Amino acid sequence: MSAPRTSPLDHPEVRQASAWRYIAGFVSSMVLMQAALLVTLRQHLPYQEYILTIGGLALVSLLSQAALFFGLDISRAQIWKSVSLVLTIPLFILSVGLTVWMFQSLADRTMLMPMTSVQPTLLE
Amino acid sequence: MQVAIQGPWSPLFGRLTLDAIPYTNPILIATFAVAAVIGLVVVGAVLYYKKLGYLWREWLTSVDHKKIGVMYIILGLVMLFRGFADGLMIRTQQAIAIGPNSPGVMGAQHGFIPPFHFDQVYSAHGTIMILFAATPILTGLTNVVVPLQIGARDMAFPYMNALSLWLTTAGAILVMLSLFVGDFSAAGWVGLIPLTELPYSPGVGVDYWMWAIQISSIGTTLNAINMIVTIIKMRAPGMSWFRMPVFTWTTLSTNIIGLTAFPVLGAALALLTADRYFGAHFYTAGNGGNLMLYTNLFWIWGHPEVYFLVLPAFGIFSEIIPTFAEKPLFGYTTMVAATFAIAGISWAVWLHHFFTMAAGPDVNGFFSVATMLVGIPTGVKVFNWMFTLYRGRLTFTTPMLWALAGLFLLLLGGLTGMMLAIPAVNYTVHDSVFVIAHFHCMVLLIGAAMFAAVSYWWPKVFGFQLDEKNGLMFFWTFIAATIIVFIAMFALGFEGETRRLDYIYDPAWRPMLWTEEAGMLLYCVSIGYFIRMLYVSLRDRVPVPSDPWGTSRTLEFLTHSPVPFYNFAVTPQVNTRDELAWRRENGLNNVQPEAFEPIHMPSNSGIPFIIGMLSLGFGFGLIWRIWWLAGFALLGIIIAVIIRSFDKNLGYELSAEDVAAMERNLSSAGIAAEQPARTPLTEAEAH
Repeated sequence: MSAPRTSPLDHPEVRQASAWRYIAGFVSSMVLMQAALLVTLRQHLPYQEYILTIGGLALVSLLSQAALFFGLDISRAQIWKSVSLVLTIPLFILSVGLTVWMFQSLADRTMLMPMTSVQPTLLE
Repeated sequence: MQVAIQGPWSPLFGRLTLDAIPYTNPILIATFAVAAVIGLVVVGAVLYYKKLGYLWREWLTSVDHKKIGVMYIILGLVMLFRGFADGLMIRTQQAIAIGPNSPGVMGAQHGFIPPFHFDQVYSAHGTIMILFAATPILTGLTNVVVPLQIGARDMAFPYMNALSLWLTTAGAILVMLSLFVGDFSAAGWVGLIPLTELPYSPGVGVDYWMWAIQISSIGTTLNAINMIVTIIKMRAPGMSWFRMPVFTWTTLSTNIIGLTAFPVLGAALALLTADRYFGAHFYTAGNGGNLMLYTNLFWIWGHPEVYFLVLPAFGIFSEIIPTFAEKPLFGYTTMVAATFAIAGISWAVWLHHFFTMAAGPDVNGFFSVATMLVGIPTGVKVFNWMFTLYRGRLTFTTPMLWALAGLFLLLLGGLTGMMLAIPAVNYTVHDSVFVIAHFHCMVLLIGAAMFAAVSYWWPKVFGFQLDEKNGLMFFWTFIAATIIVFIAMFALGFEGETRRLDYIYDPAWRPMLWTEEAGMLLYCVSIGYFIRMLYVSLRDRVPVPSDPWGTSRTLEFLTHSPVPFYNFAVTPQVNTRDELAWRRENGLNNVQPEAFEPIHMPSNSGIPFIIGMLSLGFGFGLIWRIWWLAGFALLGIIIAVIIRSFDKNLGYELSAEDVAAMERNLSSAGIAAEQPARTPLTEAEAH
């Protein structure tokens, strides 16, 4: 069938939704992303800690959106989507990992100035 | 926050002034005149035959996967023609502008296109051919065929399907608009950084390129979600995973690539947007930015995009070759495994697009080996097709000839690809036209697959055969043109001609450049045969049975030709792989159902079309920085989405009697037939 013959409101994902989850998801996303922006603008943290901090904030934001907006869990209604999201992790590792390796190699071979005298770039 | 821009700006028209209309450019004036005449003829014909209501009710608001697929293909063919016109201009410029004494007209010192305009032409050519011709045509084909192949009534999300189409259309219209209002990007289809940054491209060209891609890629991503869900959830009873046709498998893998890769392009362009509109420094050389970050992100999408296009082509070959060899596909399981192996490896090869960037030999070596690995599953596929052909009862119809020509192009493009996968070779021929010839072999193999698919499934969708005589002439002239143009281009690559030249400094290249031009003229002849093929087919309308080829193997050829809008009167029970071949062997292919049941169908909706056109307004407003237009368009989109959210339409139901009547009179249910208004189901009826 092209569409469920029941009301869309009976769909398990719709039944799972709730106002507080949307509000909590929205608030948490806003707070986490504002925090990342503040950390970036204030430039107080050393480089390594800064990268770890905003990376961590992004991860928590992602998890809160996955859980609160999309309601991803291991229930029968959501398991397909949860597993699909997990299956993208190797792609992240592959693309981000290879990118870091490539930029590291590039920096070693093209950045001739001493690293301490210039502002660090994203992947140093 | 907002970046200061060069030139005038007004609150009402943004950057748009009369100077943006290129009324002094004779090429564009002529193009506009031709486009206006064609437009007037189309609109005039619609009004004269009083088909405006039909057009709106049956097509523009349709959520039927076949009609959406056909509209995708029409869009793709129009853009293919535009992209070809750009290609013809590039080749003609290079055939004229050879050496310091070559003539120059229409403001060009040499040839007929000034350098800045030439840069726009090749940028538009690449962008259009890949994103607005090949992608929509293949998406259209998968839209038409996959639900039929798996025995579904429609896509999983018919409304979202229409939305995908109209977002893609909005992007394509933006590209076409750039011809007559402003400029297009002059920074190549890949968006060469830092050329795309505001200081180096202060006009609106890059903005046209960026927003056209951004809007259409949202459509492509939504379509990928739709297709994946359709294949996973909508298969007919008995259609287990390993009974699915290979085209459906390739569509699944290609859309997994689409779903995972297109967001990277979206992110890359969003960061460029931040640079151009808010003065961010993601891709600048200072303030913590990094030029190569863009190139890296672009190709993380760009290379999977190659497989996004080529895998459906492989699926098409896998359907056509068994049909016209009258044998099951050799090595079905290995074909599926090879498809997913290619899709997987596609995520680890992107750096071969910039081997010369200066990464170390270890990095280049890794990506070189990964690239060569693609040859293994691709080789498995080629051998499977060959073993399918071996001792088959071969029939050389037009689709079969296109498929076989596609295999030769794959060999040519694939083996030169293996050469380019070696960094040392790449350093020698990087940015030469050898690379252009290589990837044109690959995209022309996709083109061959598209024409194979159109001629193969056309009679199924429309219920009449494509004219074989003109089809064959189209095929032979097109293939001859391809050989002439690209063999010459390979030679020029070895002679050292670099890509994107608006002026040829070495007259020794003249013979090969003229050979290429001769090939382009032959392409023009082939287009003539293509148009004639359509004309003769539409004029004669030779009706066909449900299996027009008589040797088809998959489920879509079980239902009537043309396919009724409800696809199957009774959902088929699938018993084996190659269901139709099995039924034919057991004398079951013409068995009619004893009784019909009511069929639930989705209602049409005008909202996707409206959202598409508002997206066009949104993009146009942002390109010209007409903030009120962009704001109102965005508001309109939000309102349309809210209206849709409160829409209680639960679709309608075809009664068993209606289905029986339409099965007796099939012309009332085909793709061109107008359907009477049907009352939507109420909540009580739905339960």
